[in-house]
Amino acid sequence: MKAPLSWLKDYVDITVSEEELAAKLVGAGFEIEEVIRPSDDYVNIKAVKILSMDKHPNADKLRICQVDAGDKRLQIVTAATNVSVGDVVALALDGAKLPDGTCIKKGELRGVLSEGMFCGGSELKLTGADYPAAGIDGVFIFPEDTVPGTDINDFIGTNDVIFDVSVTANRPDCNSIIGIAREIAAVLGQPMKDTFRLPEISEEGEISSALSVEVKDEELCPRYLAKMLKEVKIAPSDELIKRRLRLMGLRPINNIVDITNYVLFDIGQPMHAFDYKDIAGGKIVVRRAEKGESIVTLDGTENHLGENNLVIANRDIPMAVAGVMGGANSGISDTTDTVVFEFARFKRDNIRKTARTLGLHSDSSARFEKGIDFISQDLALIRTIQLVTRLGAGRFAKGTVDTLKKAITPAVITVKKSKIDEILGIDVETKEIERILKSLQFDVVVNGDDMTITIPAFREDIVGANDIAEEVIRMYGYDNIVGKPLDGKKLMQGGRNPRDRIVQKIKAFLSGIGGLSETFSYSFISPKFIEEFSLAEGDPRTNVIRILNPLSEDVSVMRTTLAPSMFSICASNYARGVKEGAFYEIGKTYFPKSLPMTDTAIEKETLVLATFGEKRDFYSLKGIFEALADRFNVAVDFIPSDEPFLHPYRQAFITIAGKKIGYIGQLHPAVAKTRKFDAELYLAEIDLDAFIDNATDFLPFVAISKFPSIQRDLAFVVDENVYAGEMLKRIKAVGGDYLRQASVFDVYQGIGVLPGKKSIAFNLLFRKDDGTLDGEEVSKTVDDIIAAMSASFGAKLRD
Amino acid sequence: MTEKIKQLVDKVKELLEKASSVAEIGDIRVTFLGKSGEYTGLLRGLKDVAPAERGTIGKLINEGKVRLENMIAEKEAYFRKKEEAKKLASEKIDVTLSKGYLIGSTHPITKVKNEILDTFIGLGFAVKEGPEIETDYYNFQTLGIPADHPARDMQDTFYISENILLRTHTSPMQSRTMLSEKPPIRIVVPGKVYRADDDATHSPIFNQIEGLCVEEGISLAHLKNMLEIFAKSTFTKDTKVRFRPSYFPFTEPSVEVDISCSMCGGKGCRLCKGTGWIEVLGAGIVNPVVLENCGIDSKKYSGFAFGFGIDRIAMLKYGIPDIRLMYENDVNFLKQYK
Repeated sequence: MKAPLSWLKDYVDITVSEEELAAKLVGAGFEIEEVIRPSDDYVNIKAVKILSMDKHPNADKLRICQVDAGDKRLQIVTAATNVSVGDVVALALDGAKLPDGTCIKKGELRGVLSEGMFCGGSELKLTGADYPAAGIDGVFIFPEDTVPGTDINDFIGTNDVIFDVSVTANRPDCNSIIGIAREIAAVLGQPMKDTFRLPEISEEGEISSALSVEVKDEELCPRYLAKMLKEVKIAPSDELIKRRLRLMGLRPINNIVDITNYVLFDIGQPMHAFDYKDIAGGKIVVRRAEKGESIVTLDGTENHLGENNLVIANRDIPMAVAGVMGGANSGISDTTDTVVFEFARFKRDNIRKTARTLGLHSDSSARFEKGIDFISQDLALIRTIQLVTRLGAGRFAKGTVDTLKKAITPAVITVKKSKIDEILGIDVETKEIERILKSLQFDVVVNGDDMTITIPAFREDIVGANDIAEEVIRMYGYDNIVGKPLDGKKLMQGGRNPRDRIVQKIKAFLSGIGGLSETFSYSFISPKFIEEFSLAEGDPRTNVIRILNPLSEDVSVMRTTLAPSMFSICASNYARGVKEGAFYEIGKTYFPKSLPMTDTAIEKETLVLATFGEKRDFYSLKGIFEALADRFNVAVDFIPSDEPFLHPYRQAFITIAGKKIGYIGQLHPAVAKTRKFDAELYLAEIDLDAFIDNATDFLPFVAISKFPSIQRDLAFVVDENVYAGEMLKRIKAVGGDYLRQASVFDVYQGIGVLPGKKSIAFNLLFRKDDGTLDGEEVSKTVDDIIAAMSASFGAKLRD
Repeated sequence: MTEKIKQLVDKVKELLEKASSVAEIGDIRVTFLGKSGEYTGLLRGLKDVAPAERGTIGKLINEGKVRLENMIAEKEAYFRKKEEAKKLASEKIDVTLSKGYLIGSTHPITKVKNEILDTFIGLGFAVKEGPEIETDYYNFQTLGIPADHPARDMQDTFYISENILLRTHTSPMQSRTMLSEKPPIRIVVPGKVYRADDDATHSPIFNQIEGLCVEEGISLAHLKNMLEIFAKSTFTKDTKVRFRPSYFPFTEPSVEVDISCSMCGGKGCRLCKGTGWIEVLGAGIVNPVVLENCGIDSKKYSGFAFGFGIDRIAMLKYGIPDIRLMYENDVNFLKQYK
């Protein structure tokens, strides 16, 4: 809310500095977004009197003027044709700055010095509605009695300070000059001036004989107040109104329209002015629009209305979208003779919905959306009567039409002083509470611990003790609250849940010994990944949750896999010249329970690992993953897989107890190429929830055998397509109780091994916990293993 | 015989002086003291010595033997040491070289999140997490923000469907917790939140931590104490906390919380725009309406709640100028946070 200091002073005496005032408003809960000095737009622009005009020796269209700038004489070269000797005109002097930011410097025009530039209305950001002289094409001419040297800011009223106050959603009453003024009065301890005295007026006829109002939906329109103005003389407003509207960033139009805008800012009550001749049947009907109805609003757009849109209609058709915008069919024109002013209260959420669905927004709708109280209509009516009378804009018909059946009685609540202290955690004296509340126009009656508080009508946000406590402390000062420990309260056991503890340990492991860098990427990605990763129809990862209003298509679906984000991270680092990388991320993937969504999603914690670079291959990534699984005592297995976005011969599914939890492999070179990634990128992605379900950071102690172990090495020649992992699995299966470890220590192809074959060497370790192992026993087991290898894999013991 | 002993001893002495390696000294030992060594031979010659002198001579021979042994051992030790030193010297390496190593890194959001959670865990808060895809009901309605409430303008929401959205704050876990647990409640909720906003200080995704404490007689003074502990442990021991009035629909009174500037300590600088204070979070006393919405007797219980952006705290703590750096995952950025 913009609040010019000069306007605020209508309501309250302000003697403190602007800085102090701003600080006090901040302290009371009103952030100052900006302190605007409108005179900054008009630097060194003055009224000067033309003393002489002579022809330019080198240019037919230019003339050389000598001007009186008050304190000095200047020479100005101009092409203007609308000025003559004796005129007082606007001059941008050397070093001047115009509202559009243009700076003026003295210089030569065709060889003759010009110490400034004459300005017209458009350069001064003024129009004919501001001053008739600003409407013509040419130099701005001041009234002839203007003293030469007068600064333009003094003339147009821009020597002011505007506080742009940020108003929180709970304080709609402060979207007005009067609202801000009330707060200032409270923080300064000043009284509010009475500005609502009704002037003497002569009335013409009765409104009730010419107009009736019917509200068909009282929930959406709890009050509709109408006042009729006859014998209207459409004319420009006076200087004060025009100046103030300009300070608020609005163009003056004419007296009637200006009054509605002025009152909107002044009181915060949006108004509307109808031309009475457009009110067919002399009847205003406030009703929901009928299906199929439409209205062309003042901005020229045609709006198709529905039954959730409230309209102000005459007997036949809508004249305005209630609280949002008037219709083009019922506005004020130069020939308007009788005006009906509307002062209404509409339900805020309905206006908000209408403004959104129609895409129509106005100063009125902005205020109605936040909420208008019941007193503002009365205040606005008085202000309107005062302004109309001051401007001589017409004669009011006697009385009003008001749909409010009974007078509004202020709300009264009883709050315990001790409750206020309890909320604040400090003791504020009763007298002080009383003083503060009264300065905010609350009425207070103290009876022991009970405070009976009458809430002013414009404070509909106040409902209970917490609200009162807030009023007290924001005026008393938050700095008075001294921190108090939670002593005397229950001791509580905090901490992380076991699952989260494991997640943190996984991160520590990967960032530490794993040597990977943790990344954080967006949860939403481009739906193109489905195509880029060649995911088949029916793959659950294609069942993405879409965002209705994404920032862009690139971030429009919730990810079902972390691989696209991770690929993108690797690719962008690679493009920056990073030739070796190792990353991981733990984040959620999102799956709908059903589509369209009616409930929360299935959110799966997912882990993705990625490595690339000269020293990185499938096995190095697999090693990191195996180490992670070992660290948390998870038995994982790797089985053949067919992920479409991975290298067909370098990939595996990762399983736990036969259940697939993810994959590991090289990103398909064709996919890698889409991001100009020409190295080998290794990826692993697992369902971390499933991993953690099988993970433990705790195993009970196992006694260490005191007896010696026996080691045997066995080398087999097998077909080159046989998986070593399969052989190892079989060895473990037939190895019996005493086979404690089995591992591959060499794979060989080359001289001594037939083409198409390979040699795989295993190291086996046997041990008994409760005695020395018998060599014969071991030999027997080894024979079993050899037999099993032969039977299952056609393996022959290598000589 | 005496002469002979002296002669041999002198000879060994001479040879030892000429010797230049452990091996040569070994040869000398064998030559003189070995089984058939020259000096050893003296003992065998003892039988030719007159019996009366035998004792004396024998003693002399033995004394000479000890002398020789000592001399040889000394010299041998000398060369052994020298040779060892030579071998070590030949093993000299350039210790300034490095073969490289693997080191990972932890994202600053994780680092700061864990530090902050640790602080609150120490104060008896339990860590909870909740869904990121939320219902309108939990994200707004239970928190006192009905449909078309003006406070909805405070947060640009991403919608999935009419009633399903990406949570705009971690606050829905306030109501989810209060609906399922009875006071006393003390929780902190970290997690991703989403707002349709994208510039140098706003990311459409960022991370928040929500705090909630519901018990009997909770006040703004308790809140201030908690946040003072948080500020001091997250920044420096002399960090100060300031409350400013504000508005959130689910707290009443509501405050914006500033901390004394982490860069200048409150003197005023570019970071704090000369004010000495930096806005870090929003907080307040839980609105009794919210307690009642969640079936908690607001006459008996009260609470405080706070919420802040982890990203913002991390930016302040590390001096990261642009929030987007957090999500670009440039390895040159990530590797700074080991």
